[in-house]
Amino acid sequence: MQPLGKAASDDDRPLIERVRRGDQDAARILFERYFDRIYNYVYARLGRAEDAEDLAIDTMTRSLTRLDLFQDQGVAFSSWVYRIAHNATIDHYRRQGKATLVPLESATMPVSADPSELAVEQLSNEDLHEALRALTDEQQQVLILRFFQDLTAAQAAQIMGKSVGAVQALQHRALGSLERALHGRTNN
Amino acid sequence: MTSEMERLERLAERLRAVDPVMPSPGAKIRGWNLVLAAVEQSATVRSRTHPVRRLVLAAVAATVLLVAGAVAASADSLPDSALYPLKGVMENVRGALAFSPSDKLAYHLDLARTRLTEAEAMIARHRVDLADQALSSLDDQLNDAALLVQAEMTGDPALAASLENRLVQAIATHDQQLAGLQGQVTNPAAIAAITQARDRAAQALQTSNGKPSASPSNGKGPSTSPHPTPKH
Repeated sequence: MQPLGKAASDDDRPLIERVRRGDQDAARILFERYFDRIYNYVYARLGRAEDAEDLAIDTMTRSLTRLDLFQDQGVAFSSWVYRIAHNATIDHYRRQGKATLVPLESATMPVSADPSELAVEQLSNEDLHEALRALTDEQQQVLILRFFQDLTAAQAAQIMGKSVGAVQALQHRALGSLERALHGRTNN
Repeated sequence: MTSEMERLERLAERLRAVDPVMPSPGAKIRGWNLVLAAVEQSATVRSRTHPVRRLVLAAVAATVLLVAGAVAASADSLPDSALYPLKGVMENVRGALAFSPSDKLAYHLDLARTRLTEAEAMIARHRVDLADQALSSLDDQLNDAALLVQAEMTGDPALAASLENRLVQAIATHDQQLAGLQGQVTNPAAIAAITQARDRAAQALQTSNGKPSASPSNGKGPSTSPHPTPKH
């Protein structure tokens, strides 16, 4: 897997202050730091490049022009950006009525030698993406943040506004749901 | 048969191995251009209205609106209104802005007319005490106007004559109104106040002429003081 680049850190703080003073170079650094990650996050949720592009741009625009709303009080800038992206995604769902989601039934699943097991190594990326989009909103979010975005449970917890324990439990249930979704598909 | 934990761990590992979907270079360039434009616009707006300055401006605007509203409301306030003191302040401001003798005379006569209106309203509300104050203030204004005319007599007699004529007309008008008011009231205190006001108005006229004052009051009827007759 290619690294998505550096996630949120304390390095953001001086850049945020510079952007607040109108420094475009600092804005560019933050844009470069987060745009790909946000695009990837939104694409994993929506599955459409055009929508992902629009929402990623919208998220970065809001993040960098509404810094007056960002209060650095225990919440990292990265978490704030992800929350904006998440809210933008939810808004998009509402506007579109989830019409853009790819139906799970279109995926073709590989069969393992053991009928009770999935041949996960043979699953295509698209299979996984499509099965993922059949999960609940929170289950999608936790799997994307933890495995596609490679964030820690603590980082995911901050973004989702949950405890680390709750995120770990949610992640376990989400993986189980994903497995059942994939398995159910292979049995059809 | 593998355990659930093992299966899920394998699935998690497979998810980690999914290649990240990256935006196209064109999308990134377009994204930055749009974000940059928004950042520039935001910075422009922010520079125009810094938070502290915005707060100050909002406070000033609110104060101005509040004061303007109170001033507007006070313009028609009567002596028994809470806004009446503000009316006096605004009248003093107006007075400070009247520079020429003509403007100053107009200012005093306008205030005299206002005091008379207030006195009539207070009498109608049976507030003789406030009516008395208004009438007293009316006479003060007429007296100030008379002194203004007198001051001009040595420097510019023509101007003084013109001012005096305006004063005489105003006093005549006021006296007619006061006489009418005097005929309507029955309260002895109110009658006394009106009589005194008429007498003092007549004295003011004499002051403007530089003549000694002599103006007896006669109770309920029109004042026997030399009632002003406009000069034409």
